[in-house]
Parts: sequence; C-alpha cells; structure tokens
Amino acid sequence: MNARIFFQQVKMGLILYTRVPAALFWIVAFPVVMLLGLGTVFGGKDDTGPKLVWALAGPQSPADALLVAALAERGTVVDLASPDDAETRWRSGKLPLMLEGRDGRYSLRINTYLVAQAMQTEAAVQEAFLVAQSRARGLADPARVPVVMRSPGGHHGGPYAAYLLPGLLGLNLLMMGVFSTGIVDVTLRAKGGYKRLATTPLPRHVYLGAQLVVRIIVVLTAAALLMLVGALAFGIHNQGGYADLALVQILGAACFISLGYLLASFAQTPEVYSGIANLTFLPLMLLSGVYFSLDGAPAWLQGFSDLLPLTPLLRVLRAIFNDGDGLAAQWRGIAIVAAWTAALFAIATRRFKWV
Amino acid sequence: MTNDAFALEASGLRKSFKDVQAVRGVDLRVVRGEVFGLLGPNGAGKTTTLEMLEGLVPPDSGEIRILGMDWRAQGAAIRTRIGVQFQSTELDDKVKVREALEMFGSFYPRARPPAELLRLLHLEEKAEAYQLRLSGGQRQRLAIGLALVNDPELVFLDEPTTGLDPQARQGLWELVRQLKGEGRTVLLTTHYMEEAEVLCDRVGIMDQGRILQSGTPRELIAGLRRPSVAEIEFLGNAPESASFAARLGMAVEAKGQVWSVRLEDAKKDLQSLLACIEAANLPMQQLHVRRASLEDVFLQQTGRSLRD
Repeated sequence: MNARIFFQQVKMGLILYTRVPAALFWIVAFPVVMLLGLGTVFGGKDDTGPKLVWALAGPQSPADALLVAALAERGTVVDLASPDDAETRWRSGKLPLMLEGRDGRYSLRINTYLVAQAMQTEAAVQEAFLVAQSRARGLADPARVPVVMRSPGGHHGGPYAAYLLPGLLGLNLLMMGVFSTGIVDVTLRAKGGYKRLATTPLPRHVYLGAQLVVRIIVVLTAAALLMLVGALAFGIHNQGGYADLALVQILGAACFISLGYLLASFAQTPEVYSGIANLTFLPLMLLSGVYFSLDGAPAWLQGFSDLLPLTPLLRVLRAIFNDGDGLAAQWRGIAIVAAWTAALFAIATRRFKWV
Repeated sequence: MTNDAFALEASGLRKSFKDVQAVRGVDLRVVRGEVFGLLGPNGAGKTTTLEMLEGLVPPDSGEIRILGMDWRAQGAAIRTRIGVQFQSTELDDKVKVREALEMFGSFYPRARPPAELLRLLHLEEKAEAYQLRLSGGQRQRLAIGLALVNDPELVFLDEPTTGLDPQARQGLWELVRQLKGEGRTVLLTTHYMEEAEVLCDRVGIMDQGRILQSGTPRELIAGLRRPSVAEIEFLGNAPESASFAARLGMAVEAKGQVWSVRLEDAKKDLQSLLACIEAANLPMQQLHVRRASLEDVFLQQTGRSLRD
C-alpha cells in the first residue's frame, strides 16, 4: 500500500518538475551555462594570453624590440599606443596594468582595483625584461625554474573547466536544497496543501521520502548532463568511480535538502523565505571555493569555510572527479558532510510542521 | 455515550491561539444523512471548529467522536472514511484535474474511478486541464471531488461557495444536494444565510466562538419573537422615521430607501401599520411583507448583521 503511494508520489513529482521550466532551468540548464561560460572565459583551449598596453612615445628602439619579442614568447601580446591614447584607456578603468617608458627605462602602472588580474602579466613583463637585457649583452637567456602542469591528485591535466565542474555539481545540490525544496515547502504550507494532505491517510514519511527521491533523481540527471557537456566541450572526464560520485552527491543532496526544510521552518511566507535562503546561499557559495580557490583569503576565513558543509563536499567531489580518489581516501571530508547532514536532518525533522 | 445515529458528536470544544479564544465551548451533534450548516460571520470560529473536527488541530479541551471513533486512537481509520474540502486551493498549479483525482485516490485503500468523479463534477472536458486554468467554480468542484475520492460517509465543506458567482453557486448547491441524496452526511460552513436556508437540514448559528442556537432553519425563524418583516420602500431616501415609529409604537429601522418594521403578529400589526401610513400620508412607493430570514435570527441573537 505505502509502496504504491510512494511510487505514485515520485512519478507525480517528476512529472510536475518537467512542467515548470523555471525550476528545470536553475537545476539543469544553469550549471551547463556556467560551465560553458566560465570554462571558456578562464582558460579554455585556445587561450590567446593576456594583452599588455604599452604607452610608447616615438619609434621602438632595438632594446624595445627585444622586450616585445621576449613578451611574445611568453604569450603576452603587446598593444602599442601613444601616451595620450594609453592615458585615455587607463582612465576608462578597464586596464589592470600599463607599461610606460622606452629604451630600457620602463615602469609598470598597476590598477589598485585589479591587482589580482594584473599579477600574471606583471610576472611575464619582469621575466621578459630580464631576458631582453641578457640578449642585449649577447648573453644566454637566464635559466627558469622548470614547470610541470598537474592536477593535485596527479591523474588529470585538465583546464579550469575541470576545476569548475565538480564545484558546479556541489553548488547544484545546495541550490536544489535551499531554493527548490525550501520554497516549495513554505508555499505548500502557506496554501494549506499540507493541511489537505493531513486529512488523508497519506503517511508523512512516505510523502517526504518521495520528495527526497524526486529531487535526487533530478540532481543526478542534471549532473549527468553537466558531465556530458564537460566531456564534449572541454574533454574532461570523471577520473573516479561513478558510483562513488553518485553516493557523495546523494549525501550532499540529503544534507542541503535537510537544510532547505530547516530554513523553511523559520518562514511563514515565500517572500520571507527567499530572504532567508539568499542569506544562507550566498555566503556558502562564495566561501566554499565553487568557482575559485580560497587560497588567497585570510587563514581564519579559510578555517571557517572548512567547517561549512559545502567546502569539504566540493573537496571530495574534486578528489573523485579530477584525481580518481576512492571514498576511503576522502573519509575526513565525507565525515564532516555526514555530521552536518545528521545534525540538519535531526533539527529539521523536529521543527517540521505537517499542519 | 456514543450513539450510532450520529455521524459526529462534539462536546465542550475549546481552542485558543496565543491570546485569542477562537472557540469557547462548542457542542455539536450531526445526525447521519443530514446536511448541517455552521452559519456565522468571518472570525466566528467556524474554521477552527471544523479543523478540530477534521483532526487537524487538537482541541484544548472537549470530546470529539467521528463516526463513533476517537481521533486520538483511530485517526487512520477516520481518515479513510471522511472527505475534506478547504477554502483555499492547495494543489500544485501545474497538476491536471484527472491527475489530482488519481493522486488523491492513491492515498486510500478503495478509491472511486476518476472518470466517475469527473462526470459527477461536470469536469469531463477539463480532465486534462491544469488546475491553474480552472474557473473559480470549477476549482471548487474539483476541491469537493477530491473530498469524495474515497466514497466518504462524512464530508466537511468549508465555505464551499465563497467568492463564486450566482450560477457557479447554484451548481455547487446541486452537488451538495446530490451528496445528501447518496446518503452522505455533510457538515458545511457558510456566511451566506440563504445558502444555509436552502441547503441545510439544520443549522447552528455561530458567533464569537460559540454556537448560539441550532435547529432547522424553519424552527429558528419561527422561534423569533417577530417572525415577519414589513418593508416600506420610498422613491429616493427614506424620510426621518422617529415620529412615525412613535405614532406606530414599533421600532422602525431606516436603511437607504427602505424602512423595515419587524412584526410580532403579522395580521394585527400590519393593520396598525397600514392605518399609520394612511394617517401620516407617507410618500411611499411599495410595501411588502416577508418571512424573517436566518440573517434576522443572527441579528436578533447578536445585535449585529452577518456581513459586518
């Protein structure tokens, strides 16, 4: 009897999901758009390298030509401009940095707002300048420290998209829980939907169990689609076990769906809920390294973010997807997420009001 | 003391929310097969009373027996035998009519086939329409249909016709009569007195958390001290009524273009009324006499109008 109700609920839940384009967009299409967009902007396959604006008065000297050549070898394209032109562009605020001076007497002007973006080009300029000086004296190029490109686990030499994809898998679980689940819960309670169900013999645990299964099916489908796009567009593949990846995602889904129900128990109306949801979602997303590593952040902030559920979840997802780790090797992160899940589930269950 | 003749018995029901006493001692007995109406203004405690009877809200004190059973011990058994309709639409927007009937049917060990319900509700053409796309009347019919999927013995209808146009209301009245014809017991709430008069075998008049009086509509009206009302209509605004009332020796209520005079003994009082009209040479347009309504019962019980 309960099994029949359960399957009917799951079937109905999936059908209703497909009828709401907005819900499908956020869970299924949004991660794909993010992967394609950010994956391409930040180092896809055909990277043309950074551009450097050089405010140069008059013709190039031989020393200037040596610098331009050395920069080109390092993938930095030089954009020569008259000092007036360059000044106008600088004032527009878009330039992270600008090279000034001529014939061996150079200076770099760095935009204080865009220091992070300027750093990579600055390093290239400094190196190219050393090379150009050596060549001007007829000496051999200075030696560089050899560089090997590898992922942390050493299995996969993928582009930025490979870092991003597991991050999006985890972010999707958070979105499913905090937005999709929570808002449905608040709306249904406000409309009297739960009250109506409470007058029928439908058992509460069957209803909630079906809700959970529907959402897990949806996020796993979205994950499969995202991985397919990753493979086709960027040539990145799961290096670990698919079962491990799915298990970790199910754990993450349980964690954030519990969080969604818990947050929903504090709101009477959908309007109030969307505030609470954003207040939770944004810090979690920004502090957990979905898009970029938090390595540059202060130590206390990193320590704090390590305790949040999303940070260890992403670390585990990346270890599996990019480095082919098994679950056992990642037990520490899994334990943190599991502890969060147990705590959130317990409190959410206690606070959940059917009527 | 349970009695098989009653579909529902409640005694001494009380319920407070924070500092509001919503229900302050309600006793109620509904006989099997009858349509019983709880009549009262918004905020009278009708919905809270209903929610206690439906097992949604535990009463602070008092006893409830539904079909001879107790919510605390036999909740699951009660739920399979009652049907409930709410004021608000509680369904997902994108659920289709047939799907909603199927889904609610799946909750019960025995369910009526959707096709049969669609016919009963006159919703056959809307079977594949989203719930969102239904008119107000269709949506209310669906809500009642969902309350009927399990072939219930006792049906609760909370303000089934609120917000509907007159034609849709007629359709719903027809549906309720059909339920009674099938031998079901119906407990409904309404704040339309004419609805209660037309549909209900018995009504309970509710105000401020209590049932003030209950009985058949006829009994309640007949029990009034002044069961008839004479209405004198004027062209334009009614003139000042105090001097006329003094001459007549009866109360005259002036409202817009109409004076209403409540008559204790229609035959005798009407004669003196006509005599006074003649003597005062009133510029009246029309005079008619009507039977008092449940609205008048409510007014005389509470001193307030139902629609205030």
